[in-house]
Amino acid sequence: MTATTATKHRARPGRAVLTVVAVLVALVWAFPVYWMISSSLMSNVRLSAGAPKFWPVNPSFDNYASVWGGGTFLPALRMSLAVTALTVVCTLLFAFLASLAISRFRFRGRTSFILAVLVIQMLPAEGLFIAQYRLMGTLHLLNTVVGISIIYVGMVVPFTVWMLRGFVAGVPLELEEAGMVDGLSRFGAFLRITFPLLAPGLVASGVYAFLQAWNEFTTALVVLQADNVRTLPLWLRGFIQTSAARDIDWGQVMAASTLIALPVIVFFLFVQGRMTSGLVSGAVKG
Amino acid sequence: MKKLRIVAVGSLAALALAACSSNPSTPQATGTGTAAGPTTPAAAEAANIKLWLVGSDTPDDLRTYLKTEFAKENPGSTLTIEEQGWGDLVTKLTTALPDAANTPDVTELGNTQSSTFTNVGAFLDITDQVASLGGDKLLKGFVEAGVVDGKNYTLPYYFGSRYVFYRKDLWAAAGITTPPKTLAEFNADVATIAQKDPKGVKNLSGLWLGGQDWRNGISWIFANGGEIAVKDGSSWKATFEDPKTEEGLKQLQAIWTTASKAPKDATDANTYNHLNDSDSVKAADGTLTSYSLDAATILAPGWAHWSIGDLAQKDGKDVRNWNDATFGVFVLPGVDGGAAPVFAGGSNIGISAKSQHPQLAKNLLKIIFSPEYQQMLGKAGLGPANTDYVSSLGTDQFATALSQSALNAKLTPAAPGWAALENSKKLEEFFQKIASGADIDSTAKAFDADITPMLNGQS
Amino acid sequence: MSSQPLPAASADSVPVVTHGSSAPPAPRTHRPARLRSRRSPGLPYLLLIPSVAILLLALGYPVVWQVLTSLKKFGLAQQFGKPAAWVGLGNYVALAKDPYLWTVVGRSLVFCLVNALATLLIGMLVALLMKAVPGWARISVQVSMLLAWAMPVITAMAVWRWLFDYRRGVVNYLLTQLGLDYVGHSWLESPLSFFFVATVIIVWASVPFVAFSAYAGLTQVPGDVLEAAQIDGAGSLGRFRWIILPMIRPVLSIVLLLQIIWDLRVFAQIRLLQDAGGTPSQTNLLGTYIYQLGIGSGDFGKASAVSIFVLLLTIALSWFYVRRLLTDEAQA
Repeated sequence: MTATTATKHRARPGRAVLTVVAVLVALVWAFPVYWMISSSLMSNVRLSAGAPKFWPVNPSFDNYASVWGGGTFLPALRMSLAVTALTVVCTLLFAFLASLAISRFRFRGRTSFILAVLVIQMLPAEGLFIAQYRLMGTLHLLNTVVGISIIYVGMVVPFTVWMLRGFVAGVPLELEEAGMVDGLSRFGAFLRITFPLLAPGLVASGVYAFLQAWNEFTTALVVLQADNVRTLPLWLRGFIQTSAARDIDWGQVMAASTLIALPVIVFFLFVQGRMTSGLVSGAVKG
Repeated sequence: MKKLRIVAVGSLAALALAACSSNPSTPQATGTGTAAGPTTPAAAEAANIKLWLVGSDTPDDLRTYLKTEFAKENPGSTLTIEEQGWGDLVTKLTTALPDAANTPDVTELGNTQSSTFTNVGAFLDITDQVASLGGDKLLKGFVEAGVVDGKNYTLPYYFGSRYVFYRKDLWAAAGITTPPKTLAEFNADVATIAQKDPKGVKNLSGLWLGGQDWRNGISWIFANGGEIAVKDGSSWKATFEDPKTEEGLKQLQAIWTTASKAPKDATDANTYNHLNDSDSVKAADGTLTSYSLDAATILAPGWAHWSIGDLAQKDGKDVRNWNDATFGVFVLPGVDGGAAPVFAGGSNIGISAKSQHPQLAKNLLKIIFSPEYQQMLGKAGLGPANTDYVSSLGTDQFATALSQSALNAKLTPAAPGWAALENSKKLEEFFQKIASGADIDSTAKAFDADITPMLNGQS
Repeated sequence: MSSQPLPAASADSVPVVTHGSSAPPAPRTHRPARLRSRRSPGLPYLLLIPSVAILLLALGYPVVWQVLTSLKKFGLAQQFGKPAAWVGLGNYVALAKDPYLWTVVGRSLVFCLVNALATLLIGMLVALLMKAVPGWARISVQVSMLLAWAMPVITAMAVWRWLFDYRRGVVNYLLTQLGLDYVGHSWLESPLSFFFVATVIIVWASVPFVAFSAYAGLTQVPGDVLEAAQIDGAGSLGRFRWIILPMIRPVLSIVLLLQIIWDLRVFAQIRLLQDAGGTPSQTNLLGTYIYQLGIGSGDFGKASAVSIFVLLLTIALSWFYVRRLLTDEAQA
């Protein structure tokens, strides 16, 4: 985290210019997020009249009240949380076990498995809707948390296995064995020594699974058709479309968008430090 | 060798899954299959049925009415209403309608989508019920959109149609004080207004018409006696190269060249915005920045009047108030006066062929086509399917314009491939080409050749 | 699945360093596999069961269905129960003869490469920038990158669509304020400008992932080596070229591979942009083309054939990497 060491000999004026550039970069990347929040605080009539306003005119939480008051946000939030939680937990567990297998063992079919895992990610999902619908119908899992989660885990596991196996391989087996020599059981050694070293990898994989499950909407559209099982992206899409049939109420759409983005932002801020520090320490060890 | 192994694993999986799917659960055994609740097997007929309504056009009190009335008339049974979005409707109909366990029992769908799904057998034959639901009184064009081989599969749910909204102040300032009587006059008027731009509004459109806006654009084709496609024996043929159709296209191209400043990729969404004043943001040098007002005239469905007007505050919230001094409506005039045949918007409704409770579904249709419900639709500003109840729309200028334009409104061809064509957005592209100044005859000929197979369902 | 390049892979810098064939660090001292496989030959299979099961369950049937459907004439009528006729490779032949497919393929390849490279370049520059500026500036960049990264695709698209709105959008407003005539300029009307907007959005959304990965890679470059190089007279460009770049190359190569896979299949962003405007036939990429063929026009046979084709194309594009991976695995 000592960002300055590499550059401490750099000439001062150059650094000032770079700092200005950095601030500009920060502004450009944050602007759409700012714009979303700022617009969410204004009425649509106000937004569609006259020149764009760069800060909220007559700010109010009316949009949030109408979005919330529709009564459909909370069920969608619950649905999204359930799907995301199930997806993350299953993905981490399954992918972790598989990555153990392929990085710690040598067995027939190992290369095939790795190859399959790599190739599966390359399949375009846009042609699979009908088959996925039929599959879920046959399993009686349409419109259920379990059904959509199965598809998500299937989509996310390949990449997660791929990612985790590097982490697992990065933990020297000797460390674990040393622990066993010191009297720990194999499981104990794993829990005390290997697992903490894997934490950043698990966090990173968890973030990936979280984002996929939280954001996905094209498959959800097909598999979750009933009103009461919509996830947040479906809810937002429905919201935009309903509104577009008459008049896109940008104020409300932005409020709805903010509500969806908020949990992700909070989650990110929460795991970010852990992820970065893990990254760095893991990398140094490599 | 490794590859072989993958193949082996793959085919194993296929076998396993084939085994799963080869004995699909019998739909009857699974009850309604709806998420809302299990049914008691004892009461064979009492069940929960599912109705899909599309978009938010059907107001909440009408939905409540349907549910309570249905429960009342069918003791023990309940009605679940699920709302689907227009944008994803085809995806959902394609997947759910063939699936007995999860199909909606009754579904609304766009009138232009009706023929496609009817032709592949998605709906139940309800010919014997038509007479009791309104028979000849039902909107003819919409009924036809649900007919295959003389049998009725879907019926109209509600209609809407488009008429003209205009700025009286801009028209007057350009020296035009009486609404046009014929389409030619209208075409000339909007061109004049755009040319004169009497109030110096930047980018003023005499008529704001998006380049991809075929839904409004085809009114000019219909008005000139043209067709989009005709049925020739058993197959459909696109007729954009027909001289009458091309005459309509020619007039459209003139509007796009002289009267409209709308982007060439704009559609018919949110056109009313262009008619409103901005809230007059004054810049430091005193000039008025006006981003909102940039059209003297638009074509829009009737409900647009709720979004047109002066900016005002109501209960601390910003609203638009219609103002008769500034805004007006009239019906798009036909070539020889009267009302031009505009695009008939609206939707159809039908019973899924895979519905497990067809009798209950038919009972629901009875409620929907009852005089009470038809009049409720009219009061909500939706054109009722049964023409006897059109008067329920009311008598104000909007209702008058709606019913006048609807009387002459015309549907898109009931070809099996129409929904596919609409989904492919080829119509948008064709109109955009015309709007961008393409040669009409050759573009139309090429387009006819392109879409004729599609119309017949052989894409 | 959403094609937005997603974050977690930033952690990938670690695995890559250990596995990348050309990486200078990553001393692989241990070979645990042989040791254990002798003791419990069944264990690895046991560990794989959950993953294999879920993959078979979630993807097995759909993939088989897709392959079979690509060999049939399968339209809306077949979806509603009409028996589907086998046409062998008919769908593939028809597509191969259709110049439009090749237009879309070419367009997708260009779009994919431009986006992947632009993302990589900008991400790399941002990472270098983060190394070079004071702590508060770095944290501002990190936070704003994090915000952009956290935006769900559908949300981000709603915001961007509005920023580029031709009448009320900020972009036009700002350009007009700068003295250019952008009043009422429709950004999505011409295909080139449509793809420009799409690129801005995708690069905006993907850069954080690359920047964080590259930054994590940069922090590994030992400061003393750089100082030694500077004492030896290496300029900043030289240090980058000869020391930094080789050390983070494994990170960059995997990031590039992922960007290529993701950008080739980009779907959600293009579809949502097409909802907003533009000319579909001139803005279709492979993802939206498959969707349009299938759900849009009801030709599921051809849509499946294109899907299989895209799969093969992606494998071909990433073959260099896959082969290296396989060689690595064989040696391991």
